[in-house]
Amino acid sequence: MSTVTLDKLTKVYPNGFQAITELSLTLEDGEFLVLVGPSGCGKSTALRMIAGLEDITSGDLYVGERLLNAVQPKDRDIAMVFQSYALYPQMTVAENIGFPLKLRKIGKRDRHEQVYQAAEILELTEQLEKKPAQLSGGQRQRVAMGRAIVRRPALFLMDEPLSNLDAKLRVQMRADIAGIQRELGVTTFYVTHDQVEAMTMGDRVAVIKDGILQQAAAPEALYENPDNVFVAAFIGSPSMNLYEATLAEADGDYLLRLGDQTLAVPDRVVAARPALRDYLDQPLVVGFRPEDLEDASVVPDHPDDQRLHTEIAVREALGAETLVHFAIAAPSVDSGDPDALDELGDEESSRCTARFSAATRVRVGDRVRVNVSTERLHFFDRKTHLAIRS
Amino acid sequence: MRRSSTLSRIGLHATMLVLVVWSILPFIWTFQTSIKFTRDVAAKEPVLWGYETTANAYRAFWLDEDDINMWSVLVYILVVAVVCLILGQIGRRVRHSWPWFTAAVGVIFVALWRFPKVWEVNDEYDFLINSIVVTVLTMLISLSIGLLAGYGLARYTGISGAVILIVALGFRALPRTAFVLPYFFGAKEIDDWLNSSGVGSWDFPLIDFPGIDTLQILDTRLAIVLALVAVNQPFTIWMFRSFFMEVPKEIEEAAMMDGATRLQAFRRVIIPMMWPAIIATGLFTMLLAYNEYLFVRVLAPTEWTLPVAIVSLTGGESSRTITEAAAASVSITLPIVVVIILFQKHLVKGLGAGAVKG
Repeated sequence: MSTVTLDKLTKVYPNGFQAITELSLTLEDGEFLVLVGPSGCGKSTALRMIAGLEDITSGDLYVGERLLNAVQPKDRDIAMVFQSYALYPQMTVAENIGFPLKLRKIGKRDRHEQVYQAAEILELTEQLEKKPAQLSGGQRQRVAMGRAIVRRPALFLMDEPLSNLDAKLRVQMRADIAGIQRELGVTTFYVTHDQVEAMTMGDRVAVIKDGILQQAAAPEALYENPDNVFVAAFIGSPSMNLYEATLAEADGDYLLRLGDQTLAVPDRVVAARPALRDYLDQPLVVGFRPEDLEDASVVPDHPDDQRLHTEIAVREALGAETLVHFAIAAPSVDSGDPDALDELGDEESSRCTARFSAATRVRVGDRVRVNVSTERLHFFDRKTHLAIRS
Repeated sequence: MRRSSTLSRIGLHATMLVLVVWSILPFIWTFQTSIKFTRDVAAKEPVLWGYETTANAYRAFWLDEDDINMWSVLVYILVVAVVCLILGQIGRRVRHSWPWFTAAVGVIFVALWRFPKVWEVNDEYDFLINSIVVTVLTMLISLSIGLLAGYGLARYTGISGAVILIVALGFRALPRTAFVLPYFFGAKEIDDWLNSSGVGSWDFPLIDFPGIDTLQILDTRLAIVLALVAVNQPFTIWMFRSFFMEVPKEIEEAAMMDGATRLQAFRRVIIPMMWPAIIATGLFTMLLAYNEYLFVRVLAPTEWTLPVAIVSLTGGESSRTITEAAAASVSITLPIVVVIILFQKHLVKGLGAGAVKG
């Protein structure tokens, strides 16, 4: 158990492809850090470099005070859970879990005891004599966990360990893994493409895109204060709505021009972001999350100049809430997430998603007014895509 | 699926029956010939039923004495076979199977070694030993090289790997006859050098092979083994490579993360997953080495293996040697049949796809 330091880790493949560019991160002792990003962003490469399964092209990797760049995987004191579990099919569950101990020449009696302890934590004691082929997906996943926890390593690596499970089991294992990690207090580096997993499990979440770290912060901070457009769009489901807009000042009031509509922006919103004054009358990127929109007929006492007027295109009643989609006559912004669905829009209008409370009575085709919580707007530079804050 | 009609099922079974009879009839005929007296074999009208049986042909082929009760030999063989089967079955059921399998091999070894001390044997017994030595050595060397090379070529994706594989396949496609003379002359060159330089007659202080005065290549089991390994290697490499390709890379990576070196990962995790493949490839290699005629005939003029020994019997006109040749054929086929029956389950498993998937 120790701190882990990635100092400007870079991976360039022999064919010239640069998978990771100067990735710097520090994991505190016992921290659960989730590295999240769209598919093909290099997150698994980063994990495999830490594991020692890929060479480090440049940069340094420390666990505690120890430089690990040239250390063999077996000597790194790092345990890894693979996406495919990679269980040994010819061994029983007990032999699978005990294999790392056997390689360390730990005596039979101690080995049995430690395997049993690990199996108790993972509720696998009934399955110890079975072969992996006789287990369910969730049990196999736990055996893979068992093989990692049985030797109390300095660091756990987990490579999308839940992606082969069905949705219900995934939710349960999500909580289980986070619980076990907290119980054992082992520093954990967890890779996933699922931002829900990242938000629910991590003490801290690092968002990566095209091999470049975008932002690393606690889940709430990431959600409330995304550093750039990509993080804003990637974190949160449904995604943040992002459009090109212009902020103008008229008679001491601030107005946001969003296509053919305008929204009044309270003074304190601009006051909290002094840099925003430099962008007056220039195109910038504005973002608002679906939950910051509400049906005006549900919450009538909202300032009328902080409303959008639109026509409902799609309605999805989820029970606890209702998602509605409508068009906004402003150009949308490409966040750069390759996994994002193609926007159903064109140059002039783009889709907007809102999360209304279940009390809403809107129907498809209705003309509605939509309250916008202008306090919670996000502003970004149109060119650099960086957040406009101080 | 639609249930097949009674008629088509009858047709299917009839076809299979014809095929089975067609394949097995020559073997039955040979077996009958081997247990008949010469007069019945040579009779103008084939004697198919009710002939008097004898083990004379077996005795004549294997043994150098005329007054041995062949029942005692049969009992000897059966006892050895049953003991080995029991040991093998125990080995299959217990956790640590190696001692039991080793014991079975030991029993066979002792039985083969004691046999000539109990009964006077012919030269053909030496040819049996040659056959066994050549087959076992060819299997061991072929499988070892094949496993390592197949693993390497399955994991290495560079262009030179593909070149090696394609060249190997090309050599495999060439007719065996094309290799015989080069091997012969190569071996002869080495022997000439050993003779002329005097190396062949050196007295090596620590290595003392009983019955061998001078080192040579031609007319030794070594020559046969080397040649057979060379021609069989492309096959084992391709077989093993295709099996290794099915082993996910994560499994050995997991083993390395668990603290294994690459070699430990190979030996303790990958090899145990490969047993069906090893058995299947091993059986094919065994058949190749055990049945080889041409290489043995050319490279070893006197150190024959059994197929060559049998052919030497069938060339003559005498009907006495025909029963002997039949007896020899039956007795060298039976061990192979037994081995195939014992391992046929693994053979199917090994040849079927996905055998090693977890």
